[in-house]
Amino acid sequence: MVEEDLKDFKLKPMKCELNFLNKSDGSAILAQGETVVLVSVNGPLDIKSTSQNMEKATLEVIFSSKGGKPTVSDRFKENVIRQTCETAIFGCLYPRTGITITIQELEDYGGLLPTTINCTCLALLNSGLAMRHVVAAVGCALDEAGNLIIDPTNDQIQTATATMYFVFDSREKNLVTGFSTGTFGEGVYDEALERCRAASDLVFNFYRDIVASYCNVIG
Amino acid sequence: MEEYKVLQPFKYFNDHISVNVRPDGRKFDQQRSIKLNANSVNTADASSLIKCGKTSVVCGISLELATPKAEEPDNGFLVTNVELLPLCSSKFKPGPPSDYAQVVNNTVNDILKNSKCIDLKDLCIVSDKLAWVLYCDIACLEYDGSIIDACLATLMTSLKTLSLPHVIYDIETEEIKVDVNIRHPLKVTGLPVATSFVIYQSPDSNVALMDPTSFEEEMCGGNGANLVVCWNQGLLCGIHKFGGATLGTDGHKKLLNVAKERSKTIEEVINTCIANETSE
Repeated sequence: MVEEDLKDFKLKPMKCELNFLNKSDGSAILAQGETVVLVSVNGPLDIKSTSQNMEKATLEVIFSSKGGKPTVSDRFKENVIRQTCETAIFGCLYPRTGITITIQELEDYGGLLPTTINCTCLALLNSGLAMRHVVAAVGCALDEAGNLIIDPTNDQIQTATATMYFVFDSREKNLVTGFSTGTFGEGVYDEALERCRAASDLVFNFYRDIVASYCNVIG
Repeated sequence: MEEYKVLQPFKYFNDHISVNVRPDGRKFDQQRSIKLNANSVNTADASSLIKCGKTSVVCGISLELATPKAEEPDNGFLVTNVELLPLCSSKFKPGPPSDYAQVVNNTVNDILKNSKCIDLKDLCIVSDKLAWVLYCDIACLEYDGSIIDACLATLMTSLKTLSLPHVIYDIETEEIKVDVNIRHPLKVTGLPVATSFVIYQSPDSNVALMDPTSFEEEMCGGNGANLVVCWNQGLLCGIHKFGGATLGTDGHKKLLNVAKERSKTIEEVINTCIANETSE
């Protein structure tokens, strides 16, 4: 049944390379359509005692946009990614340490934040940090005619009346993070949530393929 | 009891939640009492003050004239600025706006933009020459959780009571005359209302707490609420979920309805407050 459902959804082509950077503990470069993001993960590291947490690891997310100049919306992106990773990483295994996630935007042709979240997840997998679950971000747009478009292109985002982005965990497919723009009805939201939930399987399958292709033992 | 809370905050919190009550005695879907006052700051062009439980936020709008941007000659400007000063909580330090303040500001601004309740074209006086700038300064006086709800409510009350003075612009001499005695109210369509929740991962199932206090926010993952649902006239104009525990489909649907009910209440509060203010 699920197999059949998956055929209805088509995501933009995803290309990924792990271990893109030599010096970091984990890194990944991911292209979803024409949007490209590079993420590096370092940790667990020693951090200054004021920011240490007795219960769990302290996460630090640095987002560098292509232009280089930091803006308020970059802080917002950092916050979304930090909160998402905090649920995904088993932070209580690394108390009093810091984990730094550095993100470099390379190309933005729509859907930057979902690509960033997916790339961060791949970099975390590559770094070998213990995780509760992996996460997959899927976006969808509502066009003027009221149709839902899964994983919209840049043009479709520009003309859309609303866009919704969801991040799901791999275990129960529950909603971890969500954000939206524009106005929409409750019914549309429910439909978008369910369709994105189904489409998130494609992302999880992609993770599996990538990890398998880099792993000689399982592969 | 106080010592227990300080020494074992997680256990203290969990003990309460396991018997279906919150530390301050509320039910899970019960909000704190709201006090709202319009025109509380006389020096501002429009202002209001809100108290949700112990959270209190004041908003003042000041008007300025400016030349519109060349790429959008028919649009005026609406600038929101949320300030979380050290005054409101020991969590905030003096200096440039903290990351959290920027996130709150961005969220409030996004909700306002998405709800399309203010048409920026209404702020334009003469195309490409003159337009109003609305500086909406929102300052938190006391921080005790659910800051986005409070910010948006006080901002909307201020915007609804705002009236723009009449401006005469002479195109040839470029002379500006402002007549403060003739004022027309700003057109505000709809009324977006935000509702915050935190989602607590208890051993049996995840529970959602409406209108969380600062302590509850801390217990559920740190900074701010986990879920902010914004309704505007029966339509959703923003659902932001930030980390925290995960949510299943049923729970999610229930929260949307709870938020919908609350938005009607808040709408009533704001409208009553404005009606009282104008009748005085």
